[in-house]
Amino acid sequence: MRAPSFGVIALVLIGATLAVLVAVSGRERAAVPVAAVSAAPDATSVAGGGITLTSTAMELPDDAAVFPEGPNVDLVNQRCLACHSTTMVLSQPKMTAQQWQAAVEKMRDAYHAPVAEGEVAPIVAYLAGRQGS
Amino acid sequence: MDRLDFDMARALTRRRLLAAGVAGSGAMLAAKALAADVDLRLPGGPSRRAMTSDFPQKGAMILQRVRPALLETPMEVFQQSLYTPNDRFFVRWHWGDLPTSIDVETYRIRVGGHVSHPLSISLAQLLRMPRIELAAVNQCSGNSRGLFQPRVPGAQWGHGAMGNAKWMGVSLRHLLDLAGVRGGAVAVRVGAMDKPLVAGAPDFEKSLGVDHARDGEVMLAFAMNGEQLPLLNGFPVRLVVPGWYSTYWMKMVDTIEVLPAPDDRYWMAKAYKIPSTPHAHVVPGTKDFPSEPINRMNPRSWITSITDGATYGYDPVLPVEGIAMGGDVGVTRVEISGNGGRTWEAAALGREDDRYGFRRFTARIGVPRPGRVQVMARCTNARGETQPMAANWNPGGYMRNCVEPITVRLS
Repeated sequence: MRAPSFGVIALVLIGATLAVLVAVSGRERAAVPVAAVSAAPDATSVAGGGITLTSTAMELPDDAAVFPEGPNVDLVNQRCLACHSTTMVLSQPKMTAQQWQAAVEKMRDAYHAPVAEGEVAPIVAYLAGRQGS
Repeated sequence: MDRLDFDMARALTRRRLLAAGVAGSGAMLAAKALAADVDLRLPGGPSRRAMTSDFPQKGAMILQRVRPALLETPMEVFQQSLYTPNDRFFVRWHWGDLPTSIDVETYRIRVGGHVSHPLSISLAQLLRMPRIELAAVNQCSGNSRGLFQPRVPGAQWGHGAMGNAKWMGVSLRHLLDLAGVRGGAVAVRVGAMDKPLVAGAPDFEKSLGVDHARDGEVMLAFAMNGEQLPLLNGFPVRLVVPGWYSTYWMKMVDTIEVLPAPDDRYWMAKAYKIPSTPHAHVVPGTKDFPSEPINRMNPRSWITSITDGATYGYDPVLPVEGIAMGGDVGVTRVEISGNGGRTWEAAALGREDDRYGFRRFTARIGVPRPGRVQVMARCTNARGETQPMAANWNPGGYMRNCVEPITVRLS
């Protein structure tokens, strides 16, 4: 299922090449949309009843951002960024240490975040400390 | 894997990219913010969000989270178009491991479980089946969560975790009838291709009662506003559950499983639960209350032609426009107040394509003198439910549907 067809590979390579060309040419990204998805002429498709579905591949933007400096920040980067980028955490409202603890424990217990018992407190200290709470 | 850290996640992301045939420096795009940003006016902040156009098949969107993607639709899109363009439609994923390529020739949807004839259906077969089409609003359970007071954790959405589209597909009932639902079936669980990044974490899947699943309107949609879905909105096939919150609208559907017992897995038993109270409201801070899975939507309306906090030139008549939705029934009326809710007047309603879609409304408000004006809209649905003035509260930040005042200055 996830093994891509030749057409899909071809169109992604075309997209990647375009992205590189855009980067090399030094033009503004805002002016030239990155061709992260394109429908190559030879992409496979299925059709019926006036609707055509065409095989599609995409490049998702990667987020290389790490958390702002602070005590225990390395641990926070190691444990939290496995599943989600910083933007989720940094947009949360001001919460008490108790609320942050509940959030970290939910991530660990419900979503299997790889947080060991002794790591909850330093992670909570970072998250609450960053907000000055 | 007993330990998964940032580096491993990065390596996994890279493997997915390599599997899709991407190599070299073009693969790692940073989600660079555009120069412009937006203020969602969330009480207590942080309120500003970057705008981004870096996501595939997506135009300018409010960036809530890069990975897994959470992208919000800016309010001006709802003013511009009653049907939300596919490239501006909001995006919400739970798990970061989602396919970056879909081959329409090999894609299959399996129908199994408590059925007589398990099926594996190709997209070509699906396109040959009898079709339905309807307009429906797809709204996140936590739309407007960022406006809750006291604030609650979770995705801090403004009002743009919603969109209205014309969906075309095959009714789930048709597929279930082909498979032959056996006696004693109680629920239908739908699974998809996105997977957790950590071993043992709960795969995202949702269930509907078997009668709901067979109501003839719940559909497997392969087209959205006349075109194939963007990958980030669930290409090639997503579940459409008209009138119900988006959590049930599974994207990249690949399994349909008929259950002889209620679904007791995480995403039905523990997540997306609301208080079993009117408006899903409890006193802020309450933790223990009877709860149930979130379900049908409630009436809402938004004024979209003017922006909260903005200043406009004075004119004795202020024209306002907006959008309304009834929830799981149609819109009966929308009323407008220009005096903080003391008096209300009926707005004119635009056409109704389907009771589950957005309805445009327009009104003219008399403004005797320049200064501050507070404008409100309130929607009443066909069940007679009217938007309340007071906001509800629950710890999940779900089902907000109070009147949303817009205050502007006319000078």
